[in-house]
Amino acid sequence: MTDQELIAKLNSLKKLGPDKNWLESNRALLLSQISNSGAVDLPAWKIFLIDFSSSMKAISQPAYALGIFVMLLLSGSLFSQQILAKAKPNDSLYIARVISEKVKINTTFNPEERDKLAVQFASEHAQDISAVLADPAFNTEANKDQVAKLNDSFKQEVNTVKNHIGRLAAAPKAAPASAVAGTNTDDVMIAENSKDEQGIKLMEKSDIALAPDVKEATGTVKSLVEKASVKDEATSTDKTTVDEGATTSLEKASSTPDAAVNNPSAADKILDEATQLFNQKDYTKAVDKLKEVDEIIK
Amino acid sequence: MALNPIKKFKNKQILSRLKNRDKQAFIKIYDENVAEIHRFVYFKIGKREEANDLTSIIFLKTWNYIQNKTLEDAKTLRSLLYKIARTSIIDYYRETGNKITVSLDNEERPIDVIDEAQSPSERLDQEANLSLIKKLMPKLKEEYRELIIMKFINDLSIEEIADISGKSNGSIRVTLHRALSALKELVEKEGKL
Repeated sequence: MTDQELIAKLNSLKKLGPDKNWLESNRALLLSQISNSGAVDLPAWKIFLIDFSSSMKAISQPAYALGIFVMLLLSGSLFSQQILAKAKPNDSLYIARVISEKVKINTTFNPEERDKLAVQFASEHAQDISAVLADPAFNTEANKDQVAKLNDSFKQEVNTVKNHIGRLAAAPKAAPASAVAGTNTDDVMIAENSKDEQGIKLMEKSDIALAPDVKEATGTVKSLVEKASVKDEATSTDKTTVDEGATTSLEKASSTPDAAVNNPSAADKILDEATQLFNQKDYTKAVDKLKEVDEIIK
Repeated sequence: MALNPIKKFKNKQILSRLKNRDKQAFIKIYDENVAEIHRFVYFKIGKREEANDLTSIIFLKTWNYIQNKTLEDAKTLRSLLYKIARTSIIDYYRETGNKITVSLDNEERPIDVIDEAQSPSERLDQEANLSLIKKLMPKLKEEYRELIIMKFINDLSIEEIADISGKSNGSIRVTLHRALSALKELVEKEGKL
C-alpha cells in the first residue's frame, strides 16, 4: 500500500461524526449550563457594536491599515480623475485638471499621440470656456476681469489646437525619414523638389507646419540626410517602415499632394469660424464648431 | 500556510462576542467544531459514551476559559479547543488509570458514528477503513496516533498542529512522517496475516 492510499483511507474517516440526536440534546444541555453562568442573547445593536470595535482593532494592525490606505488611494485617484475631468475654467479644481492633462501629455511617448492629446485637451478647454461664458450668471459686469482672462485663454487654446494639428499633418512625412536615418525628429530637414527642378530646397520641419505652400510640392517628399544612400532607402522603404497611418498619408501625398494638408487647412478654417462666433458672443455655435474640429481629427 | 487574514479577522470577531457572553456565538462555534472534536476524542480514547461526555466537558471548559482569561491574541478558537481537548483527555487517563490498550469499541457494541449522506458503496468502504483503523491505531504510540488523527482525519494544517502541541513545524513534519510509516508498516503486516 502506498502512502497516498493510506492517507486516502484515513481521509475517508473525516466524514464520521456523532449522532444527530446526541448533537441536539447536547447543544441544549450546554446552552442551559452556560446560561447559568451568565450567557445571554445579545441584541443586534450590541452585536454590531462589538463587531465594529473588533474591526477597528483589526484596522489598527499595520497590514490592514496599509491595505485600506492603498484602497483609499486607488479609489481616490479614480474618483478624483472623474471630478477633475468635469472641472470648469471658473472652478478652483481647473488648474489641477490642467496639470493632470499636462502630465498625461508628457508621459505619452508617441509624438503623434501626444499631439492628438494636446489637440483634444485644448479643444475641450476652448469648449468649456465657451460654455462658461455662455452662462449669463457668470458673464456679468462684476466678473469682467475673469471674462477677459477667459477670452484670452480661448484664443490661446485655439492657437494650440492649430499648432498641434499642423504638427500632426507634418508628422507622417517627417517620422519615417527620421526613423530610417536615425536622426532626431526635431532636427529633421525636409527636402522638396521644386517645380522647376532647380536643386533641393531645404525647409525646417516647423516651416512645413506653418507654410501652406508645402502643399504645392508635386514630387514625393524626400529626406535630406548626411549619408546620400540612406536618402534613397528612405524613399523606397517609406511604405514598409512606417505605420499604417503614415503609409496612408504618404500614399495620399504621392497621389494627391494636397490631401495630407487638407485636413489641417479645413480645421484651421473651422477654428477661425469658431473664433469669429466667439468674438460675436455666439458661444453655443462656437462650441459646435469646435466639436466639428474634434470630428476631423478623429 | 499562514492563517487567512479574513479568517483571522472573523476569529477575532467571534472571540469578542464570546467574551461578551453571547449565546449565539457559542452555538456557532459548537456547530462548527463539535464533529471534529468528537472525532478527535473518540479516536484517542476509543469509547463512544466517554467521547460524548468529554466533548461536552471540552466545550464548557472553553467557554469558561474565554470568560476568565485575557485572550487578546488567541491564535484560533480551533487550536484552543484542541488544546483543551488534549488536557481533558490527559485528565481522563489519570482518572481512569490507564491509556487505551484495546481496540476502539467492540463488535458487540458497534459505534454509531454515522454519515447519513453516503451511498451504500461509500458506506461499505468507510466501514472497512474504520475497521482497519480501529484495529491498528491502538498499537501506535500516543504521539503518533494524535498526529495522524489531527492531520489526516481532521485535516488540520502543520501550523495549527504545531500551535496545539507547542512544537515547531519541522518537528511536526518529521514526526508525522514517522507516524505514517509506522501505521503503514502495521497495515502491511496486517495484510500478510
